[in-house]
Amino acid sequence: MLRTTLAGLLAHKTRLLLTSLAITLGVGFIAGTFVLTDTIEQGFRQLFTADADKVAVAVTPKEKEITEAVLKKIRALPGVADAQGLVQGSAPLLDRSGRAAGSVATSGIAIVKGPLDRTNYVSGRAPAGGSEAVLDENTAKTRQFAVGDTITVLDLAEKRRQFTLVGIVDVGVDQSLAYTGAVGFDTATALEMTGVKSYREIDVAAAPGVTPETLKKTASEALGKAYTIRTGDELAQKLALDSNVELDYLVLVLLLFGFVAMFVAALVIYNTFNILVAQRTREMALLRCIGATRGQVFRSILLESAVVGLVSSALGLLAGLGLGAVALNALASFDAPVPVGADVTLTPRTIVLGLVVGLLVTVGSAVLPARGATRVAPIAALRSQVEEQSFRAGLTRSIIAGLLLAGGLGLTAVAIWVLDGDVGLLTAMAGGAVFFLGVIAIGPMLMGPLAAFAGWAPRRLFGVPGRLAVDNSRRNPKRAATTTVALTIGVTLMTLISVITASTRETVTGSLDEQFPVDFMITAQHGRADGMPTLSPDVPGKLRALPEVGLVAEMRQDPSGEIASLPDGAAFRPKVVSGSLADLTTGTVALSESQAGNLGSARVGGTVPLTTTEAGKVEVKVVAILSDDSVTGTMPYTVGVADFEKYFGPVGPVRVYVKAADGIAADVSRRAVEAALTAYPTAQLVSAADVRGEFDDAFDMMFTIFAGLLGLAILISLLGIANTLSLSVHERTRESALLRALGLTRPQLRGMLSIEALVLGLIGALIGIVIGVAFGWAALQTIPNETVFVVPVLQVLLYLVLSALAGVLAAVLPARRAANASIVGSLASS
Amino acid sequence: MVASIALLTMTMTTDVRAAVVARGLTKVYGQGDAAVRALRGIDVSFATEAFTAIMGPSGSGKSTLMHCLAGLDTVSAGNVHIGDADITTLSDKQLTLLRRERIGFVFQAFNLLPTLTAEQNIRLPLEIAGRQADQVLMDRVVETVGLRDRLSHKPSQLSGGQQQRVAVARALISKPQVIFADEPTGNLDSRSGAEVLAFLRRSVRELGQTIVMVTHDPQAASYADRVVFLRDGLLVSEVTGPTPQSVHDMLLKLEA
Repeated sequence: MLRTTLAGLLAHKTRLLLTSLAITLGVGFIAGTFVLTDTIEQGFRQLFTADADKVAVAVTPKEKEITEAVLKKIRALPGVADAQGLVQGSAPLLDRSGRAAGSVATSGIAIVKGPLDRTNYVSGRAPAGGSEAVLDENTAKTRQFAVGDTITVLDLAEKRRQFTLVGIVDVGVDQSLAYTGAVGFDTATALEMTGVKSYREIDVAAAPGVTPETLKKTASEALGKAYTIRTGDELAQKLALDSNVELDYLVLVLLLFGFVAMFVAALVIYNTFNILVAQRTREMALLRCIGATRGQVFRSILLESAVVGLVSSALGLLAGLGLGAVALNALASFDAPVPVGADVTLTPRTIVLGLVVGLLVTVGSAVLPARGATRVAPIAALRSQVEEQSFRAGLTRSIIAGLLLAGGLGLTAVAIWVLDGDVGLLTAMAGGAVFFLGVIAIGPMLMGPLAAFAGWAPRRLFGVPGRLAVDNSRRNPKRAATTTVALTIGVTLMTLISVITASTRETVTGSLDEQFPVDFMITAQHGRADGMPTLSPDVPGKLRALPEVGLVAEMRQDPSGEIASLPDGAAFRPKVVSGSLADLTTGTVALSESQAGNLGSARVGGTVPLTTTEAGKVEVKVVAILSDDSVTGTMPYTVGVADFEKYFGPVGPVRVYVKAADGIAADVSRRAVEAALTAYPTAQLVSAADVRGEFDDAFDMMFTIFAGLLGLAILISLLGIANTLSLSVHERTRESALLRALGLTRPQLRGMLSIEALVLGLIGALIGIVIGVAFGWAALQTIPNETVFVVPVLQVLLYLVLSALAGVLAAVLPARRAANASIVGSLASS
Repeated sequence: MVASIALLTMTMTTDVRAAVVARGLTKVYGQGDAAVRALRGIDVSFATEAFTAIMGPSGSGKSTLMHCLAGLDTVSAGNVHIGDADITTLSDKQLTLLRRERIGFVFQAFNLLPTLTAEQNIRLPLEIAGRQADQVLMDRVVETVGLRDRLSHKPSQLSGGQQQRVAVARALISKPQVIFADEPTGNLDSRSGAEVLAFLRRSVRELGQTIVMVTHDPQAASYADRVVFLRDGLLVSEVTGPTPQSVHDMLLKLEA
């Protein structure tokens, strides 16, 4: 029996080729995920280990900060050769136009001297003394600084300080430094520039003959329990562990897409084996005639699937290796802050996992078809004509489908109207998945009506080939359903993402228009201090003095971020739920809706306590409740401008909104504002268009990544369509020959198969679009904020057209084969 | 004696207006040592409005001859005229159009598209050609075939004999210059077979159709006006006005 199976497999290897490709791609994606993350992990380990060799013991703060005194104490310990403190604060670098570079201030770090220096120099050397500095490679590149240039950095008092650039360094995998950029000084200058009073970490080098363990013990005894003390090796392990937590998240997201791809592959395999079994009915029956048991027939099909699964999973592992390498190259070219230097390898875990997943999915998908094969009666060997597979909706199927559909809708309804937040979203998505399973179950019943619908135009446009094609597309509803559902998965997810992206984009830009009724917004650069960075209190006054500027509205808040002053200008009045802002005079407050809820009994007319910095605790009267729905951010408490200054003193604004004066073009006004801001290098000017552009970029980027990851699942489903068609073509060899004999031309026969694929593609896309839009709506309903629901009609129509075209593309090869077959030979074939 | 009569009739039939004429028809499969000469220079013509049967033992080349005559297969040498067209010079596209317009087919099995009803199957060649069915002819054909109450049935709901009658009706509906039938009764029981054959003969007599039928069954061949015999790729004999017995005798003689 084994030999028969293997011989059969070899004889039909082309039939299984596309199936194998589906598994290879799925396994390749999963393996690629692990190759990528394993390599990054390995890279981290290598980096940290290399660092650990230089450091004998590292001291980090736990209960107490590490002060200069602690450093001195450590230096004095026996067995210590050297100890250096690591400093990291903010030191805003100015770009060539004299503005602070980036929306977050550059980090200022200390470059230590001696054997404890872990810096990687790209060029130049370490800074020495108060007039030298180094820059990280990326910042130097984007801001166009080279070794020998003079750079300007703001000190604590925002005064410009000039340094000679003596080196370019690589910050490696430090995420925060990669994000902010880094300017490095010697330790004393770093402390002075950043104003930092304590060290993040002290690295200790051991004297000759002293082991790190001994040194750790010495340090622990001297410093007590207020600090964490690790040996270099322990430090490396901890850092590697931290980086793995972030990697685990990446693995999870990628595997989710891998799961979708494997699910689609499973459908393709299930369909292929079903068709193969149907086609080999006579072969099976013959085996049964000559004495094979049901069990043997069952096992032979499973064995066949196991061989296919194993071979294609092995190929998938190789594909994964390639994919991993490609992804690493892509990361490297984007300067992503991950180590990409380690060798790409397949770990034993990846190999085992890839093979097991590939094998399980393949064999699992073949179980039902194999069971079908055992039902072939031996007498079938004697029947000349293969029976048409008819489909009747069974009661069991109807019940299961009904339960799944109702369950999915129920879960989603609960998610929309009962739950909210992340739980709601997850429940809605789970509901969507259950509903989708219901659609798979009910699929064969949908095929007839949908084929009639999708085939309406082709029937009328393409004459006889069109009509025959539409008939063929619904000839075997079960097969058609499985084929199209594979494509439906991809289209559903694409539509879902499109709807959510478009709706969120619309919501954000809509609220930008509503609550950014200005030309520019000025904010302070982040990074200098904790909390919201503030602008100089002089900025609003300077701007009001400009003739090019109309309205200037400043937003101020207390250090805790709870109490705001009411911005000037009618354009910035938040929505009032009850009471009136006109009553916001001395000794009064307006509450946000949610804060009013938190306080329980707070009503207009009641009093609430406020904690202030200048006036201590005050009791204020509530005069209004404000809507939470505001992008400018409704603070829990809003007080009048005069009261705010009385409570908190002359605090600088966190934001200033500016409108161009009437009759002045926005760009003219912008130039005037920019000129006025020269004295405030950390003030950042953005326009509504800039903000919208940033949002757009972020949305586009997210969408592109998702689309790219889903592309694999869609590709596999297209393989499925090609596979089903080529197997159908094989099954209908004599039919095609008959049509050719009756006068159907080759192009007409090719056209007929293309139209059949087009109809299948359209059906798959139609179902996908309907479900995608519906569950996109459901997902949006679970988001607590008011979200606009937008269907990107053009984009969705594009999916419809692309699916139809993709179907036609998948039909190219099968159609060619059918059209080029000799009529006489095909008529004779059985 | 038989040979001289045969020669005489052949000369006579070429004088009658012929629907299909083959000259020096040769078909070789494979190359070199493996070459098989299936047809070795056949000259034959088939008269219009006549029912001709092609007979011969297995491997004599009768199916190959039919495929070549009908333009389903290419020829190695010689030519075939259907009406005024030399089909050996036509491209695949032209051949397809010629089949569509001038030739009808009835095969041994798998004649009908399973997705179409009997009526749709009958109309199929016309629709492929983009022509309207002649309703009078349609009615007459349906009446003659005796399938009026079966027209809306799918092939799977018809018996083998009924399926073959639908196939014959389909071949008739486009009024082709010639109908090629390849063992049309090969899969039928004798009663259904007799029905189909009688119907083929009636369509020649009453509708003036030209039919060329390949068969190995003397009983079937006896329905024809004329039987031509093949052996080893050569036309060796023929009988006009055949009876089952005369055909049977001729076959025995050829196989001897």
